[in-house]
Amino acid sequence: MNNSSNIDPAVFSRRKRANKIGLALSVGAMGLGMVFLLWILSVLFFKGFAALDLSLFTADTPAPGSDGGGLANAIVGSLMLVGCCTLISTPIGVLAGLYLSEYGDRSRIASITRFVTDIMLSAPSIVIGLFVYAFVVAQVRHFSGWAGTIALALIAIPVVVRTTENMLRLVPGSLREAAYALGTPKWKVAFMITLRAAQSGIMTGILLSLARVSGETAPLLFTALNNQFFSTNMNAPMANLPVVIFQFAMSPYDNWVNLAWGGALLITFAVLALNILARVVFREKVQG
Amino acid sequence: MMSNMKTMFDLNKIDSDGGKVNLNTNQPVQQEIKNAIEVRNLNFFYGSFQGLKDINLDIEEGKVTAFIGPSGCGKSTLLRTLNRMYDLYPGQHAKGEINFYGHNILSDGEDLNLLRSRIGMVFQKPTPFPMSIYENIAFGVRLYEKLSRSEMDERVEWALNKAALWNEAKDKLNQSGLSLSGGQQQRLCIARGVAVKPSVILLDEPTSALDPISTGKIEELINELKHEYTIAIVTHNMQQAARVSDYTAYMYLGSLIEYGKTDEIFIKPKRKETEDYITGRFG
Amino acid sequence: MSDKHLSSQFDADLNSLSSRLLEMGGLVESQISTAMRAFTQMDVDACNVVIENEKLVNDLEVQIDLACTELIARRQPTARDLRLVMAVSKAITNLERAGDEAERVAKRTRRLIESGGTHNINTAEIRLSGQMAISLLRRSLDAFARLDTVAAAEVVQEDRHIDEEFRGFVRKLISYMTEDPHTITAGLDMLTIAKAIERIGDHAKNIAEFVIYVAKGADVRHIPHEDLVREANKP
Repeated sequence: MNNSSNIDPAVFSRRKRANKIGLALSVGAMGLGMVFLLWILSVLFFKGFAALDLSLFTADTPAPGSDGGGLANAIVGSLMLVGCCTLISTPIGVLAGLYLSEYGDRSRIASITRFVTDIMLSAPSIVIGLFVYAFVVAQVRHFSGWAGTIALALIAIPVVVRTTENMLRLVPGSLREAAYALGTPKWKVAFMITLRAAQSGIMTGILLSLARVSGETAPLLFTALNNQFFSTNMNAPMANLPVVIFQFAMSPYDNWVNLAWGGALLITFAVLALNILARVVFREKVQG
Repeated sequence: MMSNMKTMFDLNKIDSDGGKVNLNTNQPVQQEIKNAIEVRNLNFFYGSFQGLKDINLDIEEGKVTAFIGPSGCGKSTLLRTLNRMYDLYPGQHAKGEINFYGHNILSDGEDLNLLRSRIGMVFQKPTPFPMSIYENIAFGVRLYEKLSRSEMDERVEWALNKAALWNEAKDKLNQSGLSLSGGQQQRLCIARGVAVKPSVILLDEPTSALDPISTGKIEELINELKHEYTIAIVTHNMQQAARVSDYTAYMYLGSLIEYGKTDEIFIKPKRKETEDYITGRFG
Repeated sequence: MSDKHLSSQFDADLNSLSSRLLEMGGLVESQISTAMRAFTQMDVDACNVVIENEKLVNDLEVQIDLACTELIARRQPTARDLRLVMAVSKAITNLERAGDEAERVAKRTRRLIESGGTHNINTAEIRLSGQMAISLLRRSLDAFARLDTVAAAEVVQEDRHIDEEFRGFVRKLISYMTEDPHTITAGLDMLTIAKAIERIGDHAKNIAEFVIYVAKGADVRHIPHEDLVREANKP
């Protein structure tokens, strides 16, 4: 036995060089992505900061030509729309995901459901908006918060279904078997054991669906439309941040443009916060 | 002695060497042997592949019966037929009879959930539920019994004591079951199984994933539990079978090769195949 | 399924155990032979050889016993392997005691030679049973090597002949000693020698009984002879 090795120095140095090149390329790519991200965030911050003051949250959207104003009604409207959407999409999405993972699995209904879910995940949101317009808004002949909620839900549900099913599948079969071995009926195994085991992942999915719909503009254009005044009536057009930004950003009025930047900043940071929260929730539960 | 044994598997007659004698008549007293489970002509199929071939054996009440054999011999398959675990998977089916205290559990319309509360199972991988230690144990109990808070507290303590886990867990009953070590988690699973007071406990390689000390603790546990429960254990560790069991069954390629008292199997097995396996002559 | 263990080292260990037993048996056999030759020819050098070599026999017992213990600790043998190790451990005790008996024969013979006493005691029985004892020991070891239970059962049976010879010799000795008290000292030494040979026969019988234990798993010590033969002849 001796301590010398069989390493060929030429091969070794070639590998080292290849390693360095690979590393440099990956870091470069990451750097490129980071540059643009930071650029966007800094521009947003810069431009939107000017609009950040208390009145942003207390004053309603200003009429064309009038000074000042804020985004209070839009903020409240968005919160209500997104909130109702979550209340609708979460149960439907989770239950559907539960069905796909625990009950249906190989059945025909399950495969069809998965197929449809995948399509809807990548459906253009404007198409969904138009659909809701045709079937809801046109029927009752007025725009409403409820129509907006339905449109947002149609976008959020596939996300929740997909994540719920994936998270449930990650739960090891041995856990289910252990529950069955105690004499637990199937529905209890699904709801009280499997669902509970996957809960942090499912929560993450819900938060991500929230983040997704917070910024959707196109569907709201045809459904909730917008409202210049403060309103909490879901049966009527509702103000919301995305549409307000859309409207204000290309307008000639300075305060409108300012407010648009402010709104964009708000949405961006809300989505950022939701994403971070989702990660934190997931990591904690995984470690616990 | 030998004339009393009708078949290799007829455990209802035991050698009179260890038996009691009636002092008046000087005849050996036939001890009452009760079988918790009697398997008759059991054949099991994974789709078209036959996993168990014509199994006949008795599992005596209040004793530990071990199943040994090389990988793929069917010992886990057999264990999982005893609580109809295979029903969870379409394509797996069993033919024959499994009599649990006289009642055939392979019959149609059998209430599987109720069955599984009478015949419990602990698996190779410790699987605490994602809830507190207290809830882990209360969960199973609540399925079939209505207990007040104090009664449930008692039952949880009793079960944890039975699993020799009470002292280590009593101060953290509200902590997640996942916060325990591997050996403790397995004992929690045993406590969970014991809490519902089944008649039979099935153990499928319960210590394979554990270190020697945890293994020793669980073997000690089995030794105490057998006074009140009938235990069937599958193990690939022959020395463990020799240590903990009263009866041992050697299986190979889906058939039951030999079944007898553990001492006899390990000192003087009747079949050469059995001897070759336990002495390590598997060439 | 072959007869070899998955672990070839285990095979080697078990084989080594058996061959060392046979080696010890061979040594003891030659001790007895030499002792008998010493007695028959009144050869004091032969006596001394036996007495010196006794130490070798004792050393072998200790070594082989250690090997048995190590094998049990390392391998946890079961079934046939376990019975073999148990049997070897006991058989070497029998061999060691047989070696002691050979030494006893040698020592008493040397005393007979040193006392110089002419004696006219007919020692035909001693010589005969000595040959029988050597033959029995050889046959029992041979049966052990081949795990031949039929041969072992025969050994058990024929030990009786040695016992009969011994009893016959005792009767003869008593008449000699009562007739001529001068022969008592020599006679007592001869009694001891005869008894030693009878014991050697018993040790050979024990080893034969272990053969049946290893091969059939039946403990045939202290059971009636018909039952022993039945166990030995089982397939």
